[in-house]
Amino acid sequence: MVKILEAKGIKKRFGGVVALSNGNLSAQTGQITGLLGANGSGKSTMSKIIAGVYSADAGEVIYDRKVVHYANPHEARSNGIAMVYQNLSLVANLTVWQNIVLGAEEKRGLLLDDRQSRELSREIVEQLLPGLDIRRTIDSLSPGEMQIVEIAKAISKRPRLLILDEPTAALELAQVKSLFSHMRNLAAQGIAIVFTSHRLWEVMEICDDTVVFRNGENVAQVDLNRDGRDPEKIISHITGETARTRQKTTLRAANTGASVLKVSNLGYGTVLRNVSFDLKKGEILGIGGLAEQGQRELMLALAGYYPETSGEVELEGRRIRLSHPAAAVRNRILLVPGDRESEGLFLRHSIFSNIVFPRLGARGHPLFTPFSKYKEECRKTIDTLTIRTAGLDMPVRTLSGGNQQKVVVGKWLSFDTKVLLLSDPAKGVDVGAKRDLYDYITRRVREDAMSVILYASDNEELVDFCDRVMIMYEGQIVATLEGEAINADRIIESSMHVGNRQEDR
Amino acid sequence: MVRRGGPLSKSYDRNKKLIAAFLAIVFLFVVGHFIVPNFLSLNQILITVKLASFIALFSLCQMIVMAAGGAGLDLSVGYTATMTAIFTASIMNGRNENLWLAILVALGFGLAVGFSNGFLSAYLKLPSLVVTLAMSQILQGIINVYTAGALITGKPSPVLQIVAAKSTGTFPNIIFLLILVTAVVMVLLYRTKWGATLFGVGENETAAYLSGVNTRRVRTIAFIMSGTLASLIGLLLLGNMGVAFKDMGSDYVLPSIAAAVVGGVSLSGGDGNYIGVILGAILLQALLNLLVALGWGDAGKWVGFGIVLYALLAAYVSNRRGR
Amino acid sequence: MKPTNTRRLASLVSMVVRPEYSSLLILVVMVAIAAALQRNFFQGPSLLLTIDAFGPLILLTMGQAVVMVTGLFDLSSGAALSLYTCILTYVMRTDQPATGIAAILITFVAAVAVGIINGFGAGYLRVSPVVVTFATSFLWLGIGLFLRPTPGGQSVNWFNAFYDLRNVDGMPSFLKSVSSVVPPVLILILVGCLFWYFLSKARTGRYLYAVGGNEESAYRSGIDTARVQIIAYVINSVFIFLAALFFVGQNQSGDARFGDPFTLRTIASAVVGGIALTGGRGSIFFAIVGALIINLVNKIIFFANIPYAYGTLVAGVIVIVAIGGAQLYSAYGKRAASKGRVQR
Repeated sequence: MVKILEAKGIKKRFGGVVALSNGNLSAQTGQITGLLGANGSGKSTMSKIIAGVYSADAGEVIYDRKVVHYANPHEARSNGIAMVYQNLSLVANLTVWQNIVLGAEEKRGLLLDDRQSRELSREIVEQLLPGLDIRRTIDSLSPGEMQIVEIAKAISKRPRLLILDEPTAALELAQVKSLFSHMRNLAAQGIAIVFTSHRLWEVMEICDDTVVFRNGENVAQVDLNRDGRDPEKIISHITGETARTRQKTTLRAANTGASVLKVSNLGYGTVLRNVSFDLKKGEILGIGGLAEQGQRELMLALAGYYPETSGEVELEGRRIRLSHPAAAVRNRILLVPGDRESEGLFLRHSIFSNIVFPRLGARGHPLFTPFSKYKEECRKTIDTLTIRTAGLDMPVRTLSGGNQQKVVVGKWLSFDTKVLLLSDPAKGVDVGAKRDLYDYITRRVREDAMSVILYASDNEELVDFCDRVMIMYEGQIVATLEGEAINADRIIESSMHVGNRQEDR
Repeated sequence: MVRRGGPLSKSYDRNKKLIAAFLAIVFLFVVGHFIVPNFLSLNQILITVKLASFIALFSLCQMIVMAAGGAGLDLSVGYTATMTAIFTASIMNGRNENLWLAILVALGFGLAVGFSNGFLSAYLKLPSLVVTLAMSQILQGIINVYTAGALITGKPSPVLQIVAAKSTGTFPNIIFLLILVTAVVMVLLYRTKWGATLFGVGENETAAYLSGVNTRRVRTIAFIMSGTLASLIGLLLLGNMGVAFKDMGSDYVLPSIAAAVVGGVSLSGGDGNYIGVILGAILLQALLNLLVALGWGDAGKWVGFGIVLYALLAAYVSNRRGR
Repeated sequence: MKPTNTRRLASLVSMVVRPEYSSLLILVVMVAIAAALQRNFFQGPSLLLTIDAFGPLILLTMGQAVVMVTGLFDLSSGAALSLYTCILTYVMRTDQPATGIAAILITFVAAVAVGIINGFGAGYLRVSPVVVTFATSFLWLGIGLFLRPTPGGQSVNWFNAFYDLRNVDGMPSFLKSVSSVVPPVLILILVGCLFWYFLSKARTGRYLYAVGGNEESAYRSGIDTARVQIIAYVINSVFIFLAALFFVGQNQSGDARFGDPFTLRTIASAVVGGIALTGGRGSIFFAIVGALIINLVNKIIFFANIPYAYGTLVAGVIVIVAIGGAQLYSAYGKRAASKGRVQR
């Protein structure tokens, strides 16, 4: 085992914002090092500096016992450092094999040697995801398959240091396990791996040691093999608070039993099929299952995003048509979307503008925006959700992921919410902000009998907060868990559901 | 991320561009002063501002369409104005009685053009640049058909001439109109729900849609406003020139976009400050005057504008790959 | 696991509704209509005239297609075309045949420079391509006006070779008879096609599609996206240059505003030929089909006896119908295919 990478004292700022004030990271051949930290802690910037995407303002990166300074990712890659990105680097209209060799195609003289490229790709893909046709275009793949192709692309360059930036975010459990076994293979071959994830259990499972970043510097380095795997301690490093036992929110909502949202035979193409359920007032109804089974689409459909949905929706006994998000908003069915940057925020606009925006469309809203009244309300919103910012006029893009998500939730605060749709609200949100958000939501449920539909990709959130959990598979609800049946094992088991249906191959 | 140092507030960013534009104007006038006598005189400045007012008004059309997002631009403003001028000239025939009718006709044209542009851009999702370019060709075609074999007759009503061409003392009246328009625009854009909605749609259409806004309607309305405004400006152009002719408006299109860009309006939508746009228009007009004074004529005009726009775009585009 | 049956059906549907195959169908229909309207459509001399009339737009469309595949636009096509005719007729002297060579060389260099300026703005400076080429179109117009304030200029006799070998003095008769069957413009187009064929088999060809498909991904894969974009604009410029050679060979004069109507038609032709407005998709060969279709529409209108004054009007309407139709068509196809998949 050799220390192949050592980065010391890395500093990096973007404009007026300091991303890293003292970044340190080292990696050994044959080892898998976990990189943990809240959003905005600097861990992503650290990875990107090592991979050559950014250049450090100060500090040293020592790779293979030499001080290195890469001007672009290509340089880093030709020296054996490969990075698998969170936002994929695939081109949708090209095929799997074309993407795998993109930028490093096999050549014969001046012309491309496509046969060779295809051979190469086939070998790698067979190891990672056997059966995937490398002639398919990327836009015909599922997100999980795309992530695998992305990984194949990085591995094809035979790197010595492989950096994986949240590779499991879009993967199903089976694919995660398969990825882990491949990572162990790579490590056994002597490759050093740096692995980032927000899911603590993944880091606990696959990593040999882990480094924790907070506020632009690393605050802890834990050798998991030697010192054991203690999640509580790691969490306290991440949040910077003293260890506390994780509160299992055992509160169960003021469930009055009255039906607030009754959905019958909701359908949308083949993405949603015959979805029916009955949301009770004051209930937190969870939606789980493997990734990409239609959960996001269900949330969007309930928010009125797909006008061509079939089926019936009744709100408090009254039939409503959700043909446009305006209809949903009017009926106080409010959505916190799954991708906040592209669906929920006006990044360059101020926090104030973001929070106030949905109110402007209300019927009877005065032409002239009452600024002072709204500013007062915004300040209260910021307090209630503990959004950490220098002021109301700050552009939202300067906030960390967790605070941005609070802004997204905050814009609905002043509404008398009947149904709150949460589409993976804690995704990419640091532990502290996540706790703030769920505290607020559970309080509203408890005190105001607000009803919530919660889709979470992290099963623990479903276990902690939901009264009932519906498991979705291929656009249908295949199981509903209640009471004691709501635990990680049952959720996973139901997610893999095949049941009485034939496997259609 | 840890934030240290001064806050990166939006207003600070915006003001920086305004100050830069203002300084550039001053610079141009000073340079002009050494080349041409009387360049820096009050009279000359007022004339510059008067001519720039027309550009600034067209730029308002661009700004509204640009702010609505989706790479919006309206290249049909020139021929919309021209078409209105040509048709209403014979309606008014140099008298005030039919001014109201002329205004109605102008509104009608502008509405039709704007709605077509908006529908094709917002509902059919065609790139607005191509749509409005084709529209300008169609309008040009209509003008060709209408004027084929027949001379363009008619004159503007005296009221129009007073507003557009004449001055009160040394102060051109159009500048008063511009100030009035600016005040209205600033209020509408920054103090009302309409403005906030417009900027929201431009900044992130999906987020605006999920908040319950009918985004396609908002973008169509932006084009309708642009077309209607352009049409009304046609009346002013007619008032200023005294007659209507086939190429009245087409020379304003490029400068109107340039002034908007110079004034800091983002091409991707979501923001824009009209004061900056006005300064941009004055800057460009001053540049044009300088070029004319240097004797560069027609060719030089276009070369100069092209270079200036190219250079300014290069300077203002901020999505350069940050390292 | 996802059902592969649904996926197979979806990909089949999306392949069938691909605009390219339907454009071939439309072409056949158009040729049939044109032949019906013009009796001697398929006869030698009139076919020759047709090819000569269609040729330039084909060349221009091929160039625009290259740019559009790379995810960009060139709104300065028409102005560049005009500029090249102005440069050619500025440099040439009728009584000095050698000036023709100089003119070609100088204009070629200018064309490369035009491409680099456009590409630099869009690629390195990262300005929106539509706005940048919109700005540069006025630059070319200005320079063209400077060289040729009014249409005119001089050309040498052998320049006719680009249009019709029969007009060239001292041309051997067998070559002249060749020219009555195979017009030079066709050869220019074939040269263009050959060039593209080899390019698509090389890295640069693949990279054009990669950058057009997803510039960020291409950059992250180590591709110099700015350079690829500049190359796209330079290739386009060369195609425009070829078209300029043809026009000067045909008209013996240059005009700074001559090319204006062409710009929009090249975009419409490319879109009708299956080039996606967003980039990354489409074939140059099918772009030729698109140009043929647009040309035929104009021809049909001409034969339907619509008065000249309506020309511009109709052209504008055609463009909108063409692009709108293609967009609706591909949007419909995409929706049908994606109902079976996760939708964002």
